[in-house]
Amino acid sequence: MRLMRTPKKIDIDITNRCNLRCRYCYHYESAGDADGDLPVSEWLRFFEELNRLAVTEVTMAGGEPFIREDLKEIIGGIVRNRMRFQILSNGTLIDDDMADFLVSTRRCNYVQVSIDGSIPMTHDAMRGKGSFSKAMRGLMTLRRHGVHTAVRVTIHRKNVHDLDGVAKLLLEDIGLSSFGTNSAGAMGLCRKNAEMVQLTTEERTIAMETLLRLAKKYNGRINAMAGPLAEARGWWDMEEARNGGKQLTSPKRGFLTGCGCYRAGLAVRADGVITPCTMLSHIELGRINRDDLGVVWRDHEALNILRRRQEIPLTSFSFCEGCPYVNACTGNCPGLSYTLTGEVNHPSPDACLRKFLDEGGRLPDRTLL
Amino acid sequence: MDVKNPIANPLIVLREEFDDWAILFDPDTGNAFGLNPTGVFIWKLLDGKHNTDDIVSRLCEEADDVPEDAGEHARQFIASLEQQGLVGYEVIAGNPA
Ligand code: SF4
Ligand code: SF4
Ligand code: SF4
Repeated sequence: MRLMRTPKKIDIDITNRCNLRCRYCYHYESAGDADGDLPVSEWLRFFEELNRLAVTEVTMAGGEPFIREDLKEIIGGIVRNRMRFQILSNGTLIDDDMADFLVSTRRCNYVQVSIDGSIPMTHDAMRGKGSFSKAMRGLMTLRRHGVHTAVRVTIHRKNVHDLDGVAKLLLEDIGLSSFGTNSAGAMGLCRKNAEMVQLTTEERTIAMETLLRLAKKYNGRINAMAGPLAEARGWWDMEEARNGGKQLTSPKRGFLTGCGCYRAGLAVRADGVITPCTMLSHIELGRINRDDLGVVWRDHEALNILRRRQEIPLTSFSFCEGCPYVNACTGNCPGLSYTLTGEVNHPSPDACLRKFLDEGGRLPDRTLL
Repeated sequence: MDVKNPIANPLIVLREEFDDWAILFDPDTGNAFGLNPTGVFIWKLLDGKHNTDDIVSRLCEEADDVPEDAGEHARQFIASLEQQGLVGYEVIAGNPA
């Protein structure tokens, strides 16, 4: 595998604070839940290093990035150091002044706002009373000022039957060009509230069917990297590959190839600890402004072990023994695998098609694809 | 006569990713341009201290089999960078003729 000389992008938990406590938050009660926000001076110094390494993109998440009183100063550092940025937000703290500032930087790729329902009841069920109207206000403020926006819908037990409404709200009423979806994963607070939050096998099937139908209805304006929509497509690919009807090449199948992101970037926790990804926050690679990021990127053994993960065949796991999909599977996200099995180098049981089917799940009708 | 030396726009990021190839990244627009190894070599000499002739002769010194029209290509390349706003010129005051 060819490795870029330096990382291209860095995901930063710019704060560990948040004004909400969503029941499915993957951040709180995970290894990423690192107390003690760094002072702005530390971030500014770190951005100078990113500039020297020709990093071009920073994603700020948290916690809630807009809770930082000094966010403008932090963004100023990103701009001075020749980078662009995006912000992942719950949308509730965004005002006109901030939206105006974001536009003025000319460097904001987008602000992603989480909207989980078409009405307060379905959104607030997991995010807390009053958060829907505030998030919608934040989203509309950004749009009014011309900030590029993205919307992420996290699917859970309370909004799985509101997806038609969500699509209408976002694509027809507001007029977004598209929106993204995922589902509440088995991490952080979500694990604690799993009964209340996580889709049952039956609901997962319903979500897959609904999202495929809506993606068709709205001409592909609904997308997904993870969650039911991505699973419906990925699992159908695997089903067809199993029958010899489809050749799946990228990523390579039959090995732990489901995660390639640390080939392009790294992550930093709110306490300044460098990690391979926000979903692998327990793997500590060093600390910003103490360890040389370029050296960590190239030489850190834990990172190189992760990069070699793709050489591990799925047939080496007893979990996959006798599985008809073994030559079509990638093992999916190691972060999820770690939370569920305690092993990074293991297929993720959450994304396991055989397990899903064994538990009574069914793939949506092929014609919906 | 004043001499004009090409100088890379300091805002533009040179990202050397694999081998000798690179990307020029303009953070204000998000646009990225691919550079081949010769382009990277030239870019690194766009420091305001070299004029186009210097750059061409350095290029000829470094490479073994430089085609005859390499100078012309280098000039065109620098001109196209200028057109895209990636390169400007530093005016060096010369001796009065
Ligand atoms: S999901 Fe986001 S908004 Fe909700 S508690 Fe976690 S960090 Fe805050
Ligand atoms: S058992 Fe699950 S994870 Fe393993 S190959 Fe089969 S579908 Fe993939
Ligand atoms: S650990 Fe999971 S979320 Fe992180 S880069 Fe890998 S696949 Fe993506």
